[in-house]
Amino acid sequence: MQEATFLILTALADGSQHGYGIISEVADISGKRVRLRAGTLYTALDRLRADGLIDVDREEVVDNRLRRYYRLTPEGGLRLAVEAARLQANANAALRRLNPALGVI
Amino acid sequence: MNDTTELERGYRRLVACYPRSFRRENEEEIVGVLLATARDGQRRPGIAESADLVRGAVRMRMGLSRSPRTVLYAVRLMYAGAVAEVAALVIFALTAASVRSDFLVNHPLATAAQLQQVNAHIIGDWVGLPIAIGFWLWMAWANGRGYDWARLVCIGCFALNTITLLAALGTGVARYAPAATIACAVTWAIGFAALALIFCKPSWGYYTRQAAAGQ
Repeated sequence: MQEATFLILTALADGSQHGYGIISEVADISGKRVRLRAGTLYTALDRLRADGLIDVDREEVVDNRLRRYYRLTPEGGLRLAVEAARLQANANAALRRLNPALGVI
Repeated sequence: MNDTTELERGYRRLVACYPRSFRRENEEEIVGVLLATARDGQRRPGIAESADLVRGAVRMRMGLSRSPRTVLYAVRLMYAGAVAEVAALVIFALTAASVRSDFLVNHPLATAAQLQQVNAHIIGDWVGLPIAIGFWLWMAWANGRGYDWARLVCIGCFALNTITLLAALGTGVARYAPAATIACAVTWAIGFAALALIFCKPSWGYYTRQAAAGQ
């Protein structure tokens, strides 16, 4: 799973978000390191919807602009959980090897 | 307000690169996000965000936004195949005359029938190579979109390529047209790799999914 995909799914993990909301959440989660651009975001959202990992939650019109809220599907949640566990296992292994004296887990 | 309208027009021009079906559903939303992320006083789309939008549009138009990596690589190989075929055409155009004269030098007593065979081979390449370029491009497009029939056409093309290569090696034409034969072997190898990629396990799901989606 690419990092952008992982971050988008993470942004949706605790509730639905609209496009701009996802961009800000991803910036927050990544400590401002990843700034998603609209083209990248919507290409990713299109693919994630096709894969059944996310779905449209609802639509709102705010200031004459359409806001579509996306949410994780159960399958998307599962895939994110699996990927998060994999990354955590890798990170733990790296930390353990780097600093065995501290016994970081 | 004027700035915003000008900026919005710029964004809409870029979003126009996306497929119509995607635009119908997403244009308003994307433009909204683009305007929301624009800097204060920004009047035109920036270079980086324009490039990002165009890249997304190209990926989507080529059907690559939803395809697995294996299909993506196969499609790239198919474009490489088209490029190799163009190179073969250039080589052929430069060497066609020498193929004929080499043959005559080596076979001064060649019969009319043999000469005709060499001529037929040369004409066959003139006609065949541009068609082959078209097929590579067509297959890259169709496989990128996940059309299942495209995989069958690929098998057919690959079989034809194999026969052509074997015929060139078997009839001795290869001796007089080494460059063309090498080009044929290169495209054969590219075709083999692309075929392996579109038929490997991660690709199957994509083709069946696209078929189910009615594409």
